[in-house]
Amino acid sequence: MIKLKNVYKNYGSLEVLKDVSLTVAQGEVVVIIGPSGSGKSTLLRTINGLETIEGGEVCIDDFLVHASEANLYKARQLTGMVFQQFNLFNHKNVLDNVTIGPIHVQNKSRAEAEEIAKALLIKVGLPEKAFVYPSKLSGGQQQRVAIARALAMHPQVMLFDEPTSALDPEMISEVLEVIKGLARDGMTMVVVTHEMGFAREVADRVVFMDEGVILEEAPPQEFFSNPKNERTRMLLSRILKH
Amino acid sequence: MQHLDFSVLIEYLPAIMDGLFMTIKISVMSIILGSIMGVGGALCRTSKSLLLRSIGNIYVEWIRNTPLLIQILFIYFGLGVFFNLSPMVASVLALSFFSGAYITEIIRAGIRSIHRGQREAALSIGMTEWQVMRLIILPQAIKRILPPLAGQFITLIKDSSLVSVIAVTDLTYVAKNIVTITFRAFEVWFAIAAFYFILSFGLSLAVRKLEERLAESD
Repeated sequence: MIKLKNVYKNYGSLEVLKDVSLTVAQGEVVVIIGPSGSGKSTLLRTINGLETIEGGEVCIDDFLVHASEANLYKARQLTGMVFQQFNLFNHKNVLDNVTIGPIHVQNKSRAEAEEIAKALLIKVGLPEKAFVYPSKLSGGQQQRVAIARALAMHPQVMLFDEPTSALDPEMISEVLEVIKGLARDGMTMVVVTHEMGFAREVADRVVFMDEGVILEEAPPQEFFSNPKNERTRMLLSRILKH
Repeated sequence: MQHLDFSVLIEYLPAIMDGLFMTIKISVMSIILGSIMGVGGALCRTSKSLLLRSIGNIYVEWIRNTPLLIQILFIYFGLGVFFNLSPMVASVLALSFFSGAYITEIIRAGIRSIHRGQREAALSIGMTEWQVMRLIILPQAIKRILPPLAGQFITLIKDSSLVSVIAVTDLTYVAKNIVTITFRAFEVWFAIAAFYFILSFGLSLAVRKLEERLAESD
């Protein structure tokens, strides 16, 4: 489904991704963890072209994301992204946030888009908030709307960029529950997170990144109980301590 | 000392109304054209293309650093050498170019004040750059810049009095004529000031109402 081959990315002289390769199969849930500044968010953002790359290639299905403007738009229609800061459109109510993509990008009728949106708002548990503006919602509710907005485009892959990092602790579980539900439905997902419990429970594979390289990837049981790489072990113990 | 006599205003009311109508007409046309130029200018100033950015810069700096009166005279008499511009057309052009430069800067500031996450979210659902600008960034930016924008529109209404120098029969031009005939300078200029006040203050009230309505999503 997704294939990254020898991807390089720099910000000026700072190398953020160094020769990163990763494959995600259809229906697989891959969780990327690692210390901050390890390049995990950047890696995720190269998949839908929010970040350019300096070398290597990123494929979704069979086409190269970064090869042309047209491919970039195609990649973004196949992927849905959920951001740490929710990034709901502040001037639109919840329903309009969810329908704007189907209407303006997929040229669906308003009625059809609203039908999709209402079903999705039920799915994320917020049907009564359709006409409320984002500023009136809690962080957890905003993030669930953001998930609905991404799903409204019927993406093949969902990308989550630290979806719970900006949330108050009591709201984390409501968002994780929605993401777990998607995993059960068989959605292909790449999730960048600090939630180790979530990674253990939902991931088919855990990818550990540090300083722009993938140090280790393994199924969660194996990864958490018996990390092979010395540095993974050290960093992991530091993360798991708190 | 002469006694004040406001009855002269009644006598010349039809002429004053014509002038008022001309001032409103020029102002409205210049506000619309100036806003379009402002959006265009702001898109140039925030563009990825160096050429467009340079054009935007030159436009803004050239207009902001020369007097409006000179711009009016240049467009009417200067460009008048090559094109046959009516006073009215020359006025609207001058005022639109002038206010467009300031509106460019106001809109640019508004665009830059929108968090980049809004753009990224819009791109991530597959929108084109133009859709992102039109559907996501500009609506939020314009809401945020309404107060300075209203200030600019009010400035434009008041600055429109300068076009009387190229014989546009606006409020100011009409007033000058009435004063020449009647010598009632105090009464006439006082009344004309009141008309400008009503126009400007009315506009500012209307924008305030609009702001309140748009505050719904705050």
